[in-house]
Amino acid sequence: MFSLLNIRVGWFLAWRQVRRTSRWTTSLIVFVMLLTFLNLVAVSGLLVGIVDGISNLYRQQETGDVILKTPVSKNYIEHSSDILAFLKTLPQVKNIAPRYVSSGMIEANYKTRTDYTDKPNETAAVIVGVDIEGEQALAGVASYIGEGSYFAPGDYDQIIIGSQLVDRYAFGGDIFPNISVLRNVYPGTKVRVTINGQTREMTVKGIIVTTANSPLAAKVLIPGYELRQLMGRDDFNLSQIAIDLNPGTDPGAFTSLLKRSGVGADADVLTYTEAIPNGVDEVRRTFQQIGTAISSVGLVVASITIFIVIFINALTRRKFIGILKAIGISGEAIEIAYMFQSFFYAAVGSAIGLAILYGFLVPYISAHPIVLPISHAILVAPIAETIPRVILLVVATVIAGYLPARMIVRKNTLDSILGRE
Amino acid sequence: MKDNNIIIEVKDLVKTYKTGEVETRVLKGVDLAVKRGEWIAIIGRSGAGKSTLMYQMSLLDEPTSGDVIIDGRHANKFSEKEKIRIRLYKFGYVFQDYALMPELTAIENIVLPLLMERIMHAHAQERAIAALKKVGLEHRIHNLPSQLSGGEQQRVSIARAIAESPEILFADEPTANLDRESSKQVMNIFADLHREGQTIIMVTHEEEYTKLAQRVIRIDDGQIVDEEKHPRVRT
Repeated sequence: MFSLLNIRVGWFLAWRQVRRTSRWTTSLIVFVMLLTFLNLVAVSGLLVGIVDGISNLYRQQETGDVILKTPVSKNYIEHSSDILAFLKTLPQVKNIAPRYVSSGMIEANYKTRTDYTDKPNETAAVIVGVDIEGEQALAGVASYIGEGSYFAPGDYDQIIIGSQLVDRYAFGGDIFPNISVLRNVYPGTKVRVTINGQTREMTVKGIIVTTANSPLAAKVLIPGYELRQLMGRDDFNLSQIAIDLNPGTDPGAFTSLLKRSGVGADADVLTYTEAIPNGVDEVRRTFQQIGTAISSVGLVVASITIFIVIFINALTRRKFIGILKAIGISGEAIEIAYMFQSFFYAAVGSAIGLAILYGFLVPYISAHPIVLPISHAILVAPIAETIPRVILLVVATVIAGYLPARMIVRKNTLDSILGRE
Repeated sequence: MKDNNIIIEVKDLVKTYKTGEVETRVLKGVDLAVKRGEWIAIIGRSGAGKSTLMYQMSLLDEPTSGDVIIDGRHANKFSEKEKIRIRLYKFGYVFQDYALMPELTAIENIVLPLLMERIMHAHAQERAIAALKKVGLEHRIHNLPSQLSGGEQQRVSIARAIAESPEILFADEPTANLDRESSKQVMNIFADLHREGQTIIMVTHEEEYTKLAQRVIRIDDGQIVDEEKHPRVRT
């Protein structure tokens, strides 16, 4: 079938048919192919992007590029001061956010509680003692403060609460059945913070308003020096050290460097990808599969569309197909002509799609993520995943173009010329 | 005795069309032999079977029974590929409605079947231009069919047929859609081709144009009812 002669004649016919057919028809088919391409790539890319948006938030707000965590067998990162001093000497390091982490209870409106049989207005929370400047430099917490403000250097007895701990922002109500989110809490509200049996009254300075899956959403921040006091710690050993690296530094190579330098003996040294909770990766894979399923349906719809378009085209040109056969043009050459036409539609649609995707959509959405209740979604479309999809689209389209052409070409030549059934 | 000058012959040719339970016998045992270089006009009223006869002879259709013999070989022994090759190399076709590809220019319509003959594009173009000159359309080579008059389109169709130097030129009602002037031009081209030795088998219902043919076969009700030889001799 694919002899050089048939390809040559098929190309001769196809190129001229594409060039001289109605521009509206060509534009419409190419537009359908463009939409199919975007459906194939962008839908799954956006679904994955929702999860990657969550991952990005973890990187921005919690882990940085590399994070040092307390080993499972320890209560804190030993020799934290030495590690911090070492990190500050490394040229790859851009920002460092040292943290103390503890669990604790936050209680609000305790002064106005009159009936002690009522459930107290309290919640359990992860309380993070932060280095005020370091945390701002790494996580940019101030930009997430929706009510009130971020800490100022030297702040004392001040607290910042994540939106998922506050009733008016909480996504899905109470966190646990027996522990409520906090009610009537605003900047300036007094709350009681209890850690390790030590209770201190603090003032709400700000409320973090961010997406539900943001790592800051369910945390309480207080200045690190104050949390250390509440925990009764005087060793300066930290729970976490998040590190932002200078652009161009490979987090993997940097973690290797830290491990070789002995930091790994005192802390778990993880890149941001290693530190992302397992669940996020599972959700990512789930969304990827859903995206693939939706894209597959899109591909079938596009194939059927092209089949119908080529079938109608071939049917209306049945007489000419008959004439071509009558004057000695092989059926294979005619079929190849239709395959070339389908290839043209798919290739042009995909090329425009690629240009829109990588020239506009990916960089634009990356710079301006789509704000959704659970994530700041980006468009994930790695070229290595996109190219096989383009090939799949082109192959499906060429087959969808070939089948109807073959059906018409196989009909009796004279019947085709005379329009007989 | 076998006549080596016979280029195509039909023997006891029968063609029956079946529509549901109804069978229509369009050709009822036709015998005809055409000599090399002969111009035959097949004439008859509408539905007489003249076009059907031509379709069987030109291998565009298969007879229900009987033989089509081309250069001494029985057509029912030809494979589909052989039929395509014969249509490409030995036959040329001129249809009533010109049958030009609408997206191809005049020259491209002629070049296309030449490419199928494995002729290089440049050489195919030379042959196409020569054929267009022959029909007086060398100034219209880059026009699309939609930019040509009916007569011009039919002349392009003739140029396409003769560019391949066919042994037999089949013409099915070539003047049916043309005005008188265009019809005359087309018939003059046929006359010129015939003078050069071209075998022509032409179906028509216009008596006037049969006068140019050497032999007129009259068909009625699927049978040859009359055969008339014109004294005009090819020069």
